[in-house]
Amino acid sequence: MLHGRVLSSPYAHACVKRIDATAAEAIGAVVITFNDIPSVRYNERIITIPSVLHKDHYVLADKVRRMGEAVAAVAAETEELAEKAVRAIKVEYDVLPVLTDPIKAMKPGATPIYDTVLWGENEIEIEHNIACARSIEQGDVDRAFAEADVVVEGTFNLSKVYHAQMETKSAICRPEPNGGLTVWPTTQSIHNVRILLGQIFDIPLSKVNVKRVPIGGTFGSSIQMNPPIPICAALALKAHRPVKLTLTREEDAHDHTRYGEQIHLQLAAKKDGTLTGAKMEAIVDIGAHNIQAYSFLGVTVGWLVSLYKIPNVRYHGTAVYTNKAPSCAMQGFGNPQVTFATESLIEELAEKLDIDSLELRLKNYVGLGDTFWGQGPLVRSIVESDGVPELLHRGAEAIGWSDRPKSGSGTGRFRSGIGLGRGFHTSSAGAPQPGDVIDFSGAMVKLNVDGSVDVITALMDHGGGTLEALNRIVSEALCVPLDKVNMAPAETCSTVYDCVTHATRGVYAGGGAVLKAARTLREEILTTAAHYLNVQAHALTLKLNKDLEQGVVYTPSIPDRTMTLSELATRCWSESWKTIAAVESYRPVNCPPAYVTVFVEVKVDTWTGLVHTVKAVMGSDCGTVICPAMAIGQLEGGLSKGAGYALYESNAWSTDGQLVSGGYWIDSKTSGISETPHIDAFTAGFAHTYEPSGPFGAKGIGEAAINPVAAAYANAIHNAIGIRFYELPITPEKVLIALKKKERIHG
Amino acid sequence: MLPEFELLMPRTLPEALEMMNESSRVIPLAGGTSLLVDLRGRISRPQMLINIGGLDELRGVRVEEGYVVVGSAVTIADLKHNVLIAKHGQVLQQATRVFANPLVRNRATIGGNLAYGSPAADAAPPLLVLDAEVELTCKDAKRTVPLKEFITGVRETVRHPRELVTAIRWPILPEGSVGVFHKLGLRKADAISVLSIAVMLHRKNTEDYAQVRIALGAVAPTPIRVTPAEELLSGGPLTPEVIARAAQLASESTHAISDIRGSAAYRKRVITALVKRLLTNLAEGTKEKKHNESEGYHS
Repeated sequence: MLHGRVLSSPYAHACVKRIDATAAEAIGAVVITFNDIPSVRYNERIITIPSVLHKDHYVLADKVRRMGEAVAAVAAETEELAEKAVRAIKVEYDVLPVLTDPIKAMKPGATPIYDTVLWGENEIEIEHNIACARSIEQGDVDRAFAEADVVVEGTFNLSKVYHAQMETKSAICRPEPNGGLTVWPTTQSIHNVRILLGQIFDIPLSKVNVKRVPIGGTFGSSIQMNPPIPICAALALKAHRPVKLTLTREEDAHDHTRYGEQIHLQLAAKKDGTLTGAKMEAIVDIGAHNIQAYSFLGVTVGWLVSLYKIPNVRYHGTAVYTNKAPSCAMQGFGNPQVTFATESLIEELAEKLDIDSLELRLKNYVGLGDTFWGQGPLVRSIVESDGVPELLHRGAEAIGWSDRPKSGSGTGRFRSGIGLGRGFHTSSAGAPQPGDVIDFSGAMVKLNVDGSVDVITALMDHGGGTLEALNRIVSEALCVPLDKVNMAPAETCSTVYDCVTHATRGVYAGGGAVLKAARTLREEILTTAAHYLNVQAHALTLKLNKDLEQGVVYTPSIPDRTMTLSELATRCWSESWKTIAAVESYRPVNCPPAYVTVFVEVKVDTWTGLVHTVKAVMGSDCGTVICPAMAIGQLEGGLSKGAGYALYESNAWSTDGQLVSGGYWIDSKTSGISETPHIDAFTAGFAHTYEPSGPFGAKGIGEAAINPVAAAYANAIHNAIGIRFYELPITPEKVLIALKKKERIHG
Repeated sequence: MLPEFELLMPRTLPEALEMMNESSRVIPLAGGTSLLVDLRGRISRPQMLINIGGLDELRGVRVEEGYVVVGSAVTIADLKHNVLIAKHGQVLQQATRVFANPLVRNRATIGGNLAYGSPAADAAPPLLVLDAEVELTCKDAKRTVPLKEFITGVRETVRHPRELVTAIRWPILPEGSVGVFHKLGLRKADAISVLSIAVMLHRKNTEDYAQVRIALGAVAPTPIRVTPAEELLSGGPLTPEVIARAAQLASESTHAISDIRGSAAYRKRVITALVKRLLTNLAEGTKEKKHNESEGYHS
């Protein structure tokens, strides 16, 4: 196997004039530049339907638009040799002006980052570096604001933080004798990687086989097919040898981030706290590539109107190119940003109206029976399970909500405060009709001769326990002991399509698919057993026989008409009849909100500005809890990542487009275990709900766990020191500056 | 990715000094926790490294002739658990508990932490208030330099290219001395200091202090002693008024830097707050431990 290395641009915006790779080739390396790559423009992320998908990316291009973008790549016998070779390549650049501020990038005369991109199959011009824009309006907004008793507003600034996922982006590609490729990538969707590689390199999909590799975390960083995967494929195809390409952590930190944005939000309400209107403007910094900005703009207002019932809404969102790392989904896909803004203003509104903010939330939240469209205007669902009141009341009790101090009343060096944030994430992007986002899953289930079961799905597990949950669903549906359910290794050539593990859809939608397949299998089991037992199929049923450690087919009224699943499958086999198996595709027709409520108690050190987490109480409404330990782990992780977003993490770029941290983690400040509240100070609880559309009543949890956390912190800090922060992260320095300003004003 | 370099592997200190003498371009490598990061990031590109981390002569902590002597290749983790350091260098031991993370502490050495010349070296402020000296050895000579003269700028020291830092030493503290270290970082572990501070008091009698020493890290191009504040405090009782004045003076007399971790203005504000807090705690005899825990700096 050869080892690959990428030559990254040191400039954030430049045209590549000339590449001289002779020295690299002289030491035995295989080199690729844009001349070796099919000139196919694509989008790394093919979840948006093809007709409205923006495409601006080439595997290697003659123009770089962010610092660290690949210019060339090499493969050599050892990583050391590859490193030597990549450094021997000489590149001449025409350096272009760099745009790091989206507002400046939109100004007339700003250097265009793109002239044109593809939208569907049409070439469209990019003007003022605006990748796309969306306006959505419902109701009579002007009237709502004219007749409002109170209006609150704020401008919120959210930074482009790094995913900091466990593994850096990586791939191994092996060229096959038939001209095809076998690929082992870090990805959240093996099928989408397959489709894209087939399209870019013009290889029939039957010859592209992508394998599922266990990964320990993604936070959305690998929903798209990341740059190292097609680069590795191109190297393997040119070298006719397998190639491994893995980004260093510093390279990875330059590769993608969360969407940065500025949100201006206004909420209008009546004296009794009824929300009547909202105006929202979002300027989204998408970085150097448009990965899914159009959908992002849709969900940005979707999150708002799905948090609270707001009859009159006016929204305008603009996605702007800059010469920075491309923005992509990161745990919440815009939801933590919007929830931070909304939950901050809800608290402000409650204070203005002198209403308990918890009551204000209960009065206005989108709950049971309400329509919502969290995943954008085309993805409408009715809420059928709602644990919000339970979560709010139980959480309030556990944290001591009613005893919290009046905001800003604290004195002395250390000041404590309690904050609340509530939110949700949609379980999948399912809906009755197809939308602009592809969302369906598929699965196969088959019965083995010993009564054990194989589950075959292309769904990914990023360390959250998704596949374990699927095993439990199949075990329950087929009355087979859990240890006899096998999650088969997956590859694209032997699995049916599954779109991607994202959008908090793994258990809900992926689990829905295995349940559908398991139920079909169950029918097949009963029909087949009916043949052997001479009983009507619909008179038969299944149960788990714990003594036999397997499932048994029986009919309650005739005790001797029974056979184990092993007997059934063995007869089908020995009589050369068939394998009992089922394959299904499944489109969720709903995307129920998985609600999460977070209460945090913080202590602010007014001498240093440091904010300490004293206690956290998290409540989740994920419907039926399928793996309790893993679900609690998701909540703990959400708190940790959310605290990082609220207090520690930021990614700053210098005006010439260089990442100030250089990509070194020491200054990226992802929260570590030391920032996590002590286990005794963390409480997790689950609502007693059942989601009718979910597998055995389950909804999702993953992204919901982070969405309200930053808001809860900001509200807790406000409760402690009486100061509201509109920009994340709330660093010690910002706290001290704000305290000083407050002292000046109030003496 | 690490670039290529030659690595010399001496087995003894004389052999190492011989190798150092042959070329002025040999860079000493001990724990490598800073140097290897620079190599990967192409910040420094030495052709030849010499591994001195394994030399027995550079290991061990001992007390001799009124001095505590620490071999330069003693790791931060070793210091954290050493009984002699617990007795004679408590202020340094406090710093080892919040130094980077356990993995780095196992590799990083005390000599390397100083010789790298970082303004944010967490071992420097405690050693500055201990009045430590750095022992520098070359093939034919040995000299001792006070630590406050050793680091001269960002990543600059008085070490001659053919010299090795072989030991750090400081005079045994008089009875009644008490010291404290505090680190302010943007994260509780694995963070480069925004500010680190060490304070040492030598008691004259029950009321008065013969000498007060204060050192700051990560605020100026080198770790520094804050002499004006020290002079104000030494000789008398530590009243709240004099502490407040000294804290103000410490901040005013420091030419603070701005960087990715904090602005100069923020640093100046927290210098005042922390000098005041540490002095007050020491004067009242309360333990700083309580506050360190409240900020969650776990060992």
